[in-house]
Amino acid sequence: MTIRRTWWAWGFLAAPLLAYGITVVWPALYSFAHGFTDWQAVGGGEFVGLEQFRRMTADPSFLRALRNTLIWTVLAVVVPTIAGLALALALNRVTRFAKLIKSIFFLPLALSLVVVGQVWFWIYRPEDGLLNLVLGAVGLESWGHAWLSDPDTALWAVMIAWGWQQVALAMVIFLAGLTSVSRDLTEAAHMDGAGAWARLRAVVLPALRPSFVVVTSLSLINALKSFDIVYVMTGGGPFRQTETLAVLAYRVSFKTYDFGYGSAVSVVLFVVSVVIIGLFFAWNSWKDRHV
Amino acid sequence: MSEIALTRPAETAIAGERSRASKASLVALLLAFAVVFLVPCLGVLYTSLKSDAEIAANGLWAPTGNLTLDNYLQAFSVGSTGRYLLNSVLVTVPATAVSVALGTLAGYAIAVLRPRAGEFIGFVLLAGLFVPPQILLIPLFQGFNATGMYDTLWPMIIVHSGYGISLCTLVMRNFFRSLPIELRAAGLVDGASEPRILASIVLPMTRPALAALATLQFTFIWNDFLYPLVFTRSDTMRTVMVGILQQQGQFSVAYGVQAALAVLASLPTVAIFIAFQKHFIAGLTTGAVKG
Repeated sequence: MTIRRTWWAWGFLAAPLLAYGITVVWPALYSFAHGFTDWQAVGGGEFVGLEQFRRMTADPSFLRALRNTLIWTVLAVVVPTIAGLALALALNRVTRFAKLIKSIFFLPLALSLVVVGQVWFWIYRPEDGLLNLVLGAVGLESWGHAWLSDPDTALWAVMIAWGWQQVALAMVIFLAGLTSVSRDLTEAAHMDGAGAWARLRAVVLPALRPSFVVVTSLSLINALKSFDIVYVMTGGGPFRQTETLAVLAYRVSFKTYDFGYGSAVSVVLFVVSVVIIGLFFAWNSWKDRHV
Repeated sequence: MSEIALTRPAETAIAGERSRASKASLVALLLAFAVVFLVPCLGVLYTSLKSDAEIAANGLWAPTGNLTLDNYLQAFSVGSTGRYLLNSVLVTVPATAVSVALGTLAGYAIAVLRPRAGEFIGFVLLAGLFVPPQILLIPLFQGFNATGMYDTLWPMIIVHSGYGISLCTLVMRNFFRSLPIELRAAGLVDGASEPRILASIVLPMTRPALAALATLQFTFIWNDFLYPLVFTRSDTMRTVMVGILQQQGQFSVAYGVQAALAVLASLPTVAIFIAFQKHFIAGLTTGAVKG
């Protein structure tokens, strides 16, 4: 029998669409519209056209935040992905303690980025932080550093903490992907004399491509939204050197109450996200057709 | 393949021995790595059990024999820890329930009832995954101010319920697509209405997906920091994640209390993670499946 279409579908969709419209669609459109005004929290604000966007091109804070967001996004995709892949490949070969080891690596994903940021802040403390203590203990005292207050190392230091939390996400998706890598194929490659490296490149990695797509898109989404860990660890400092677009949008909107500019910055963040993720999906479907 | 036949049994035995040895060293390496990986978690736990005098004298990471529960007692007696935790529960439980329920309705309508334009509605709902929260803050802030909900728990409940619909719809839609369609047909033949079919035939089979999703949503919402930071002001309305940072201002050197608060704040999500690890991972990987 054919299943009849039903008006109930709209009954079921009404509440979700209403809630989504109020909390996501309406605010997003509202911000878009107010990115073209000089709204200052109090009073209305006049339409100023592209003025706020022109302001950005001459605003060093904005340019730095844009640069940091791009660096952050690339690193946040590359670092946890490679580490997660290595872990998954290693874990795939062991049976004893595998469950325990997986759980340990997984634990940070249950923690809040506030807590993660807090602990790593303590690890990086210049006077009594764990990192400098360990460096001192192994005779590398001269490497000791005020990791989070040196503009050259701050963003990287925050990045490491982020990677520590995120690595298990990639690990678990690659592990799921590895179960689908054909054992026969890897064994056949082995028999043909392919070394471990050749097997990895010729058999395992191509089979993991769907997992790579999932890991990369999740990492992109998470990285572009990341706000908490930067805010907690550096507050965007030192001298705003670690500010990302997400942090800048917050600061402009809720510290200086420049709502027009804040709206415009958040619109840019949205557009950057859509462009990056769109490019990734386009590249991916191009690959699908050409490989 | 012919080479296997030529390999003498003694050689295979040696090869087997070698691979067992390399496997054992891999396990040892992974275990060692896992222990290092755990250090930040153990660090917070350890710090929470040290007295402030101890920390002031020897630094945060110095080992000590004197452990105490004072920080936990102090967190409850001096700070507003009880209030923070209660607020987090009051936000997280309803927001989790509502977002999962709305996502279930939408996912079911899109995947099973398939109304005209259903695919498009699905696309609009999923697009929310790419919307950075920053673009929503100013209009929602204004809205909550205008309705008198600013500085109550309502903003967090409402925003999480709505913003979570994207992920919940994605997970539930993917799940419902994998269910056999005959189920609904059987219900229709019996003359059951759509809500009845959903409630009494489909939902009982949905339990694993709901468990996975609820675990995931609970963790996200409990760990959120941005919304309570923006939508609340007074100490009595703070959730625990903002509360941890509040500690920094109140007693500038109360690291022990801060660590105790971080441990308390992590307990619910870590407990859920330990109890439902399977669901947690299932939720992450189902949500990750590109749809």
